[in-house]
Amino acid sequence: MPIALFEWLPGRIRELMAKLPESVTGQLEEIRIRENRPLEIGYGGRFAFVGGDGSATSDHRAGYRPNRDDCRAFLEKITDHSLYAVEEELRRGYVTVAGGHRIGLAGRTVLEGGAVRHLRDVSGFNVRIARARVGSSSRLLPALLDREARTIRHTLIVSPPQQGKTTLLRDLARAISSGEWNHPAAIGWGGRKVGIVDERSEIAACERGVPTFDLGPRCDVLDACPKAEGMMMLVRSMSPEVVVVDEIGRPEDADALREALHSGVRVLASAHASDLADVFRRPVLSELVRDGMFGAYVLLSRTGGRVEHRVFGAKEAEDEARRRGGLRSWATPRDAPEPSARAAEEALFVPRGIPEPAIKARPLPLIRSPDGASGEVGGHD
Amino acid sequence: MIKLIGAVLVLFAGTMIGFAQAARFAERPKQIRSLLHALQRLETEIGYGQTPLPDALHRMSLAIPPPLSAMFAGIAAELRSGSGSTVGEVWEKALTAGWASTSMRAGEKEAMLRLGATLGGSGKEDQLKHVRLAALQLQSEEATAREEQQRYEKLCRSLGVLGAALVVILMV
Repeated sequence: MPIALFEWLPGRIRELMAKLPESVTGQLEEIRIRENRPLEIGYGGRFAFVGGDGSATSDHRAGYRPNRDDCRAFLEKITDHSLYAVEEELRRGYVTVAGGHRIGLAGRTVLEGGAVRHLRDVSGFNVRIARARVGSSSRLLPALLDREARTIRHTLIVSPPQQGKTTLLRDLARAISSGEWNHPAAIGWGGRKVGIVDERSEIAACERGVPTFDLGPRCDVLDACPKAEGMMMLVRSMSPEVVVVDEIGRPEDADALREALHSGVRVLASAHASDLADVFRRPVLSELVRDGMFGAYVLLSRTGGRVEHRVFGAKEAEDEARRRGGLRSWATPRDAPEPSARAAEEALFVPRGIPEPAIKARPLPLIRSPDGASGEVGGHD
Repeated sequence: MIKLIGAVLVLFAGTMIGFAQAARFAERPKQIRSLLHALQRLETEIGYGQTPLPDALHRMSLAIPPPLSAMFAGIAAELRSGSGSTVGEVWEKALTAGWASTSMRAGEKEAMLRLGATLGGSGKEDQLKHVRLAALQLQSEEATAREEQQRYEKLCRSLGVLGAALVVILMV
């Protein structure tokens, strides 16, 4: 994606980024701008700093440091010079710019009655580059079909952040609404009506209500709408056959999902979790899963530039989660070494033998019983 | 004969100078008034429409007469162009350049510049407060302008004619 398209970047940073080699900009995933700290980019699962001469370097001291004016101009640009119009987004901590790129914000929060009311002194930005990968769902979709109902099963896509959930969801929506089922049994099914609740404006990247990504011909988008409310609105008014939502996890989402699932529409949802065992541990999700709401689970993982997926049925998912339940499941950094390498590394640091306790046992004082009888009760040496 | 023509020319020029001065006095409260209307419009755009600032300024420029409209249309276009400059800079540049073509004085300019420095940079409530503050300042300037108009408009006109007559008499 040519950097020149990113006209919302501050001039100086855009110049530097334009000098980066094609191999880097081609797989750009993140641009991280932090005031007075080196400019960082993430690409192809790796990260690097951008030097003052426009080269990608791993040395942070050589990195270009955006100053206060850069950051202020950037914030003005991405909010269209109108902070007052994006107050709700600031409260949630991100804004979405033309092209569906989400920009996360960090700064100082202003509280009111304990709740975040506003974000000021914004000094950290994380630009997540959105891309449409047309056809990325073609291998996955056949596994999600419900042949009897001639549509898809209720599906939950699970992965840690940054593995391509939204990209996959977007392409699934496109394939379903244009009827590219990619399965011999599904020839002649045609497209399904798809309703998307795009709370973060990431799936469709609407500009003035019209999606900028290709989502197929039979797709309706509720832009910037809270998921729970949006799902009900769609079901009531737009008669969708498949509802697509991103990143569920709040209790009200679960209620709306339950409503939607029982009102005859199929739901395609995604959630943050590092594996299936994690899904069973997240309170809202586990409740949904235990009620048998989803017919299929898709687990995404990424190695280098390739996104791998595994599909589980409801029963398999439960077994898998139980099997892996005992394993540690907290997320590891993306550029962490492979588990086997990590295990070997850890083994090096494990001290041999049983370590000595730091506090030595020492004799305890005598405890005398109240009646004066002297004796060593629970005595120690 | 030539003397007579000269006298007529002097008389004409003096009268015109007087009328032009008087027109400036008459124009100032009118322009302040249309600026006030424009600010009210901006207030609605920010408060209810949550319209992005470039759009809001563009609509505001459509609602007011020239030469004021040109200034705001210029600011809107500059913000849309993606040059990367901030609202404060663009606003100050446009107002400084365009102010001479209006009949307004430093007091109004001061109030508008102060508004420009805060515009777009904070939440809705805060923005509305700033716009209202600027409107209040403009209102007081408008009162002064009206007073001056009453006092000096006629004076300027007669002063022009009489001054020219004095020059003619001295020349003859």
